Amino acid sequence: MTAISAKDVLNRLEQQTEGHIQTAIRLWQNMDDAQLLAPAPGGGWSIAQCLEHLNGYGHYYYTVIRQLMERNKSVSEIYKPTWLGNYFTKMLDPDSGKRKIRTFPKHNPPPSLNAQLVVAEFIRQQEDLLTLLREARNKNLNAIKIPTTLSKWIRMNLGDTFRFLVAHNERHMRQAKRVIS
Amino acid sequence: MIYFGVMIQDIAVLKNLINQIYPISVEAMEEMCSIWTPFHAGRKELITRAGDTERYIYVVLDGVQRVYYHDEQDREATILFTYTPSFGGVLDSFLLQSPSRYHYETLTPSHFLRTSHVQFSAVRARHHSAERLVSHGLAGVISGLQERLVEIQCFSSEDKLRGLLKRSPHILQIVPHKYLASYLGIDATNFSKLMGKILRDGDLGKYQV
Repeated sequence: MTAISAKDVLNRLEQQTEGHIQTAIRLWQNMDDAQLLAPAPGGGWSIAQCLEHLNGYGHYYYTVIRQLMERNKSVSEIYKPTWLGNYFTKMLDPDSGKRKIRTFPKHNPPPSLNAQLVVAEFIRQQEDLLTLLREARNKNLNAIKIPTTLSKWIRMNLGDTFRFLVAHNERHMRQAKRVIS
Repeated sequence: MIYFGVMIQDIAVLKNLINQIYPISVEAMEEMCSIWTPFHAGRKELITRAGDTERYIYVVLDGVQRVYYHDEQDREATILFTYTPSFGGVLDSFLLQSPSRYHYETLTPSHFLRTSHVQFSAVRARHHSAERLVSHGLAGVISGLQERLVEIQCFSSEDKLRGLLKRSPHILQIVPHKYLASYLGIDATNFSKLMGKILRDGDLGKYQV
């Protein structure tokens, strides 16, 4: 795979995450429970369910990423995307992956949620992600391997993991925005 | 006069801010305007860390920041928010050049002008009116802190929240609730209950959000 500048990738992911935080604060943190919990037209997930789904993944990945980033001291200015990383990112990115993806049952959030807490936790996690992306500028995006939620034996490098996580965030942010539009 | 690397409109913000506090002499203003450089920070960047000495004073051009206390028992208090047009930084540490007890961080992407203690002090030492500017500025800070003490000691949580929304209605759409709760000294659960009440009563419109 072609090697690219780690800084450029991290800057782009940081900008996208900044946009996600702004959307959550502007649109959702001041919405009442009825709006946040209203199912999408046609019976899809509510805004709170979309965010809770992301929180579930964030809870695992952002914690593991922090731990593994602290342990590994190597630095690289170059990032080499892998085939697997590109495949996952392409599948999750709403611009390239148009196909509907079936959610694993344990990541299927219930319709009844504490909506305010879900939004607050989402914003907290995205702030955390922003910090991780910034700290990763002084790390090696290729050498740090993150075990996926699919299996601890399937591991992806840090750069690939950041890319598919932000693409996944973008996918469900758009879904949540469509609930009330 | 050309201020290297600093936009004319940013200098206008600085001049207005100074004039609102204490109108300094033409000579002092000219010198004061020549000591600033632009500075940018993204969301959630720690600008000044507790334990470090504040090296700069900031003029906030854009964004929201907070000065906060945080200790080893994980207790946290947001002491104040800064946004344009105001000065920023940990003021006591800057003026005394002693280690700060507080952190200064951005809550949104932020633009500033900033100058060092050495440069700022030199202008203060050369111009009597610049010295008056600092004492008037400090009196204003004391007034604000006294007002805030009254609010913290006398007002109910709901009064404090409604007061904040009245003073800064835009803040709800810019700053995450947890920092507003921390500023008002309300725990997160109570804050979300109060917000729920304000939202249910349809009162947000009152604050022109």
